[in-house]
This record gives sequence, structure tokens and C-alpha cells, in this order.
Amino acid sequence: MKVICVIPAYNEADNIGLVIDKVKPLVDEIIVIDDASRDDTLKIALARGVTAVRHIINRGQGASLRTGTQLALDKGADIIIHFDGDDQFQASDIPEMIKPLINNEADAVLGSRFLGKESNLPKTKKNIIMPLARFINRLFFDIRLSDPQSGFRALSRTSALNLKIENDGMAHCSEILYQLFKNKNRVVEVPITVIYHDYGQKIGGGLKIIKDLFIQKLIN
Amino acid sequence: MLQQILALLVIAFFLLRLLSQKNKKQINGNEFLLWLIFWLVALGAVIFIKQIDTLVAWLGFSGSAINIFVYLVVLALIYQVFRMRLTIAKMEKNISTLNQALTLKK
Repeated sequence: MKVICVIPAYNEADNIGLVIDKVKPLVDEIIVIDDASRDDTLKIALARGVTAVRHIINRGQGASLRTGTQLALDKGADIIIHFDGDDQFQASDIPEMIKPLINNEADAVLGSRFLGKESNLPKTKKNIIMPLARFINRLFFDIRLSDPQSGFRALSRTSALNLKIENDGMAHCSEILYQLFKNKNRVVEVPITVIYHDYGQKIGGGLKIIKDLFIQKLIN
Repeated sequence: MLQQILALLVIAFFLLRLLSQKNKKQINGNEFLLWLIFWLVALGAVIFIKQIDTLVAWLGFSGSAINIFVYLVVLALIYQVFRMRLTIAKMEKNISTLNQALTLKK
């Protein structure tokens, strides 16, 4: 089975080399999508001998994942992993993430920060933002997951083919979840560890996600 | 009365400007019609301001006709901003599609 890891990166020159070095032994191929970085992200990725392409203009993480997923499908991927370029996810979790797909026990695997493995999640995120996101997902989409905003996921070829990422920004996360369930994929969660280097998305970012999802719904 | 005359002069100026733009083919027929209706409505509102005041009072609004117009204009502006937001979102989507096509073509 051909496993391709898609890594969207924007101004990640400090981390991308390290991330590639950690992920490379665990997958068949890596695709880095440089989202028009102003630093040497692309140069560093190319120097590591992986496939790296560059967006002409910065379009956001959702757009990068869309490009990367399409490229991975074009390259014949059987399993596509979405992984961040900021060295917060642990490459050592990859084998556990792809195991249910290899064993044909699932069509999509989502990493969860709330299933036992230790993550240094900021307290406000753990106790306010995440429960709120869980509640919104249950209320509006009837999706019951322990981690509603995890960007670490592994998809089978079929589930990736049926996925249409419309949101360019961070709302892609909720959008992907919604589509995975809507397309009747077998979705499982696997515990992962996330080491936070910074706070990441704040309350304002969460509100922007809701606004983006609403606008997306209107223009479609 | 003086305020009404001033308002009529302003509207007349914009109507003449509109006609000139139409003659110079700077705007298309639909745009011309839209703005023509807008300025004619404004003209009517200024000429029949007292009757509108009476109508507004009869409908139970406590403010004057001008106040009601201001509220309507604010609502129209909010609607316009919303429409523009949707248009921008569509354009953003198209830009992303082009961006992806160019990236994958290389």
C-alpha cells in the first residue's frame, strides 16, 4: 500500500526539515505544499529530496491540503496522511494512525488528543474551546468525536476521492469531519500526542471558522 | 423649503450626471435604470415630504419621514455589504481554484 504524507507549510523553515526527517522513514512519499512562504521552506523541503510544490499566493491551510491531497491521489496514494509542518504532531504516531486503514477496519482515521496519550494542550483550549467545539459538532452535525479539531488524519484513497475541501482556511477541519460522516465512511479515532510550541488557534479563530462555514454554505 | 430646494438641486445634478454617463456609454442599461429609479424615488420623496410624513404618522411610526428613510438606507447598506461579502467569497474560491491548477501544472 502506497502511503503518502501531505504536509502543508507556511513559513516553516525552522521546522520543516526536522518534520521531514522524522516522517520520511515511516511513509513511502512526502508531499510538502509550500503556501507561498516568505522564508526558505520550499528550498529546505526540496533539499530533503521530497516532492515539494509552491502555491503562487498564500491561500491557507485548507487550500494547501486540497492541493496536496489531489497531488497524492495523482501519484496513486492508497493512504493519505495529513500532517502539520510545525513539528507539533509526533511522527511516531503514524504507524498507529494507518493501522486501521491497512487492516481495512476504517476508511478514515482521526488523531485524538483526548484518548489517553499525554498532550500539553493549553488549559483554556482543553476546558473551554474543545468542549464548545464538541458541543457544536454534536448539535449541528450529530458528530460525536473526542477531538473535533484535530488536523492529524489518515484517509483511504476512496474516502479522499470523495472529499471536497472547499474551505481555504481553518474551517476545513470541521468541513472534512462533516463530509467523512456524510459520505458514510467508517471513522475511527486513535490517540495521539501533540506537543504545543504556541497557543495556536484562539477564540477569534473559532468564530472565524463558524463564519467561514456559514459563508461557504451560502455560496455553494 | 430651502432644504427641499437644495436637495432637489443635488438630485438634479446626479440625474444630469447619470444621463451624461449613459450617453458616454460609461454605464450599461441596467445600471442606468437602477440609478434612475433610485434618484426618481429620492426626487419624489423630497417633493412629497409632507405627505410621506402624514403617511408615516398614520402607520404608527413616531419619527419623521426622514428618519424612516435613514433606517431604510442603513438596511440597504447592510444588505449591500452582505452581498459584497458573498461576491468576495466566490472570487476567493475562484482564485484558490486557479492557484491550485497552476501549482499542479508546474
